[in-house]
Amino acid sequence: MLIYIAIYIEKFSNKRVKIPKIYKRKPLKVTLYKNQKEIRLPHIEKVLTVDLAKDKIRAENIQKEIASNYIGGRGIGVKLLFDMLSPNIDPLSDENILIFATGPVTGTIVPLSGRHVVVSKSPLTGTIFDSSAGGFFGRELRRSGFDVVIIKGFSEKPVYLEIDDGQIDIKDASDLWGKNVREATSSLSKDGFKVSCIGKAGEKLILMSSIMSEYTHACGRGGLGAVMGSKKLKAFRVKGIRDINISDEEKMKKYVAESMRLLNASPVASKGLAYYGTPSLVNLINTMRIMPTDNFRKVHFENAYKVSGEYIAENYDIKKKTCYNCFIACKREDKKRGIELPEYETIAMFGPNSMNDDIEKIIQANLICNDYGVDTISAGSTVSCYLELEGGNDIETPLKEIVEGGPLSEGSLRYSKSKGKEGSSMSVKGLEIPGYDPRGVLGLALSYATSNRGACHLRAYMVAPEILGKPKLIDRLSFSGKSGLIQIFQNISAGIHSLVMCQFSSFALSEEEYSDLLSAAVGEKYTSEEFIRTGERIYNLERLFNIREDISYSNDTLPDRFFGDDGISKEEFDSVLDEYYVYRGWNKGVPTKEKLDSLGLKKEAKFLVERDS
Amino acid sequence: MWKEIAKFGKKLVDGGYLSSHFGNISVRVGDSITVTRSGSMLDEITEASVVTVDLHKPSSLDLIASSETIVHREIYKRTSALAVIHAHCPFAVVESLLNDGSIEPYDSEGKFFFHEIPIVTGNIGTKELAENVAKSLEQHKGCIVKYHGTFAVGKILEEAYVHTTMMEHSSKIKYYCDLTKNK
Repeated sequence: MLIYIAIYIEKFSNKRVKIPKIYKRKPLKVTLYKNQKEIRLPHIEKVLTVDLAKDKIRAENIQKEIASNYIGGRGIGVKLLFDMLSPNIDPLSDENILIFATGPVTGTIVPLSGRHVVVSKSPLTGTIFDSSAGGFFGRELRRSGFDVVIIKGFSEKPVYLEIDDGQIDIKDASDLWGKNVREATSSLSKDGFKVSCIGKAGEKLILMSSIMSEYTHACGRGGLGAVMGSKKLKAFRVKGIRDINISDEEKMKKYVAESMRLLNASPVASKGLAYYGTPSLVNLINTMRIMPTDNFRKVHFENAYKVSGEYIAENYDIKKKTCYNCFIACKREDKKRGIELPEYETIAMFGPNSMNDDIEKIIQANLICNDYGVDTISAGSTVSCYLELEGGNDIETPLKEIVEGGPLSEGSLRYSKSKGKEGSSMSVKGLEIPGYDPRGVLGLALSYATSNRGACHLRAYMVAPEILGKPKLIDRLSFSGKSGLIQIFQNISAGIHSLVMCQFSSFALSEEEYSDLLSAAVGEKYTSEEFIRTGERIYNLERLFNIREDISYSNDTLPDRFFGDDGISKEEFDSVLDEYYVYRGWNKGVPTKEKLDSLGLKKEAKFLVERDS
Repeated sequence: MWKEIAKFGKKLVDGGYLSSHFGNISVRVGDSITVTRSGSMLDEITEASVVTVDLHKPSSLDLIASSETIVHREIYKRTSALAVIHAHCPFAVVESLLNDGSIEPYDSEGKFFFHEIPIVTGNIGTKELAENVAKSLEQHKGCIVKYHGTFAVGKILEEAYVHTTMMEHSSKIKYYCDLTKNK
């Protein structure tokens, strides 16, 4: 029986608060005193709520039922956001909340487990939104004694949140306000703190602004940096010393060994990405004629080699960069200049999609985006949209306008609408499409369209089976069988993002391995099917959130540019979409009562019943 | 869809994974299951050799569908599988006679794919068999029905085929290895 205790602690500005022993829960022995090692911390248990307006901090255990039904990371974030937010609020108002969440395997011996997730209502899309980043911040957060941190309200002046092991403080950030990511991170990284912060873009409430961890790891998409900026929360820094224990160490060792065998045997994970990083995709995608080129008006870029992984490897002295506990190490740095090099999506958007074959210009664009804290996919695609409407091939001028908060900073959809050319925005639900032309990857096309957060390649990660042939190569040019497949992969991805693990693990691991790792971490048995079903619950709850926001199924589509004679048959697409809804147990994009009941979402769906009656 | 089923039916028979009549194949299509008909030869499947039945409940068309349709239906109801293959793989059947509970593959591929292969019980075409197989497949990619043969699932038919062939391969390796050791 869970003993649910919430302690409210009055917080006085600039005064450290040492949290006393706050939990009385057996069999857990949890204290939050500094220098004391965590005894048992098998699951998402401790949630910290920071109310910036009331200057209050609250620490509490999460209900066991929520932890079991939503795992952690994206799942827990989605559940908390759904429960805490009223419908139709302005995402940049003080009613919105920002949730930093880790998962039950974050920071453990599980490979590729260094990620954390941020969940909020997106100011860019108006949808529910989760965005994740790698690095070491997530691990450090868990080591500090907290698994989930909820930020509420507006601060009157710029502040940053500090967790120094069990001690929490809200500190003045007036000196940091107006500084970009690099400078702010340098200032706050001393003494072993890991830092997540916003740059000037987040401060200016730019709708595509990101939250950057440890300089270069981006919670990039959806403009969650603007939500942070609206709260005048410049940064969140954390340091912890606790061991992150798992429930069944022996089983975990066995499952980790099995997972490592599979990952090492995967050529994509252990060779392709490990050698060239994500830019290894440039030549492959271009050869397949699915490279976004000239704002998705073409599918092949003649000079792709000049922006490829091979070109970078030949012309730059490269240093590999990694996240916590990852042998792939897909990030790259220019050793000579000590600067980060762009990833595939960034290259695709600022390169071929903007008709630019100068890799150095892409490198500079990437540096600017990371320093101001701007999503490189949305920024790059908005630049491409601008170039289509205004002409030319200068990427620097429109990018400058974006990071400085000009009209372009509102994203390609709002910008193109203002020009009366909505069809030039290559976006779904207001989120710009990443670096794979959907006309040549039809599963991905359906996945873009049905994603709850807008165009995203990671929701079902069809790049793996349709492009890279993992776990099985399937025909990317056919819709046959895709509707059933997409919803399964979407559910599995929701599970992966809740564990929280890197998407690249799915090149080798399946729901069987994920459910084993989860079971060992939390000490509660999940079968493969229960893991997938948990992902399905999360996906359906996200859909309910969007329905509550009046986002209808008419948004489950692609830009008109992709339909027609040279593209996807609209008739066939609509038919496959209907089939997808059948697999999902949805009626015109709305989950049926039977489906919701079966997933235990009756209470959450109450508004639907009231609305329909 | 029948062409895809025909393709893998022929591969199964040609590969020696079953004799022509002894197995069945299905694919989930929305709220329906397209399954091989009872008595059809898996290496000679035509459009007339398959039948589409309801996913949720038995229908009159079950009369001509494979006798194991009850198992296929239960698998689709309880798991996220989109394709199922049942085959009377000889070495898998032998291993099911020699072992109880599960077998642990010796070969690296078998370890990768399965970790362990469960052995379940139940008579052909019974509700008991359907429930035992479906429950087992909630956690595994394939299982062996004692005295009988394999059931394998996949998100696509090719994946179910790979799981079937891997179970037989692992069973064969284990059988020969144990035979040699016991000499």
